[in-house]
Amino acid sequence: MAVRALTRGLLGFRYSRAATVASPCGGHHYVTAPSAKPPQPQAGDVTEKILNQPLEKADFFRVAELFSLKDLFDARVHLGHKKGCRHRLMEPYLYGCRLDHDIINLDQTMEHLQLALNFTAHIAYRGGIILFVSRRRQFGHLVETTAKDCGEYAHTRYWQGGLLTNANIQYGPGVRLPDLIIFLSTLNNVFQQHVGIRDAAKMNIPTVGVVDSNCNPSLVTYPVPGNDDTPAAVELYCRLFKMTINRAKDRRKQMELIHDVPSSSWKTDFNEATKNFH
Amino acid sequence: MAGSRLERFGTVFTRVRDLIRSGVIKPKEKPLWYDVYKTFPPKRAPLHVKPVTSPSAKKQEIVPEIFYSEDKIRTGFYEQYGRGLRALDLSKSNFVSTCQRFVDKYRELKSHGMLDKSSLFEETGKALLKEGIILRRRGAPPVLAESRDPVLDLKLIDMLAEQQSAGTDTTKTTEDKNS
Repeated sequence: MAVRALTRGLLGFRYSRAATVASPCGGHHYVTAPSAKPPQPQAGDVTEKILNQPLEKADFFRVAELFSLKDLFDARVHLGHKKGCRHRLMEPYLYGCRLDHDIINLDQTMEHLQLALNFTAHIAYRGGIILFVSRRRQFGHLVETTAKDCGEYAHTRYWQGGLLTNANIQYGPGVRLPDLIIFLSTLNNVFQQHVGIRDAAKMNIPTVGVVDSNCNPSLVTYPVPGNDDTPAAVELYCRLFKMTINRAKDRRKQMELIHDVPSSSWKTDFNEATKNFH
Repeated sequence: MAGSRLERFGTVFTRVRDLIRSGVIKPKEKPLWYDVYKTFPPKRAPLHVKPVTSPSAKKQEIVPEIFYSEDKIRTGFYEQYGRGLRALDLSKSNFVSTCQRFVDKYRELKSHGMLDKSSLFEETGKALLKEGIILRRRGAPPVLAESRDPVLDLKLIDMLAEQQSAGTDTTKTTEDKNS
């Protein structure tokens, strides 16, 4: 395996077959050996391979089997707000209106949720920082415990204006911003769009958001049309995100073990004690 | 790290792609999510949509109303019997309410051949009573299977009128009145 990695190396080693036969045990006994850094292209190549392999399959992490339409229905994900609260841009995602109650189209929700979970899994696999945001006080604790269980971050309090846009001054120079922001509810406490959506778009951070029938889905990168008010629905979302992120991180550990890459601190705060095997 | 803060112009992806293309962001510095987005793009590009200011832009209803054929039966039931005596238990997904039982019985009787709407309503009501569900008509006391004892309906005034017309003497009527 190490031999194969070296053949693809960028520094263009040349070695003879005879030499490899003579020294089967490793990379540092080649005839044309002396190079200042033989292990680095090897590690970089393998890391690249680890990173690109999941992109080849449509559903590498098999997130589609984590939920079914019946689960969404039982968790009351299809229940929207009343007709008067409806946002113009949510109309394509609605199935219909039953006695002035908007009903969200669960077929579309299935597809959107699958895309969103798949994206989250890939980001977690690559060691990205994920931030959970929700300004609903009813679910603040739930969101925070979910983030803790995945080893990620949550922000369920007042969003200060310059949190993302002025991060270098508020938190010090060279802050690493989140690579994905997940909104369990895209509205703030006064039923306006959460500032974080606009700020994430400004800072070129992709977002995943649960959009209810009174929300604006235009700026959310991967919107998931669904109910964000019922506890059953929000618990379902939290469970699904937690399972995908843990699955992705476990998969990454597995891949690193398979390819014999020393598990470096690609993710400094990956809490091993909270691994969940689902 | 270079960036572009124009959230109303293009999507996150198009801005980063153009920055990479123009060389402002080096390929080594490209964000984590870029390749993932490229391979698995969302169904709709997250472009900013300008809010429509003129209220008379478009008024057509794109979201259809949801109605079922059983709704006619349900309206008939609720008009006649009000809200129903048994409360709906929404926590159970397989719960059958009084109205639903009425609808099922109605359809069953209709499939047996009865065609007249009013008779169907009566028959369904009676069938449900046989099964033990009491239905109360709006504004009236509960419907009973057998009629009341006629003795209970007798009023004192009517009795007295009968007695007087029968021609009894005043002493007996006063005795009746006192007792």
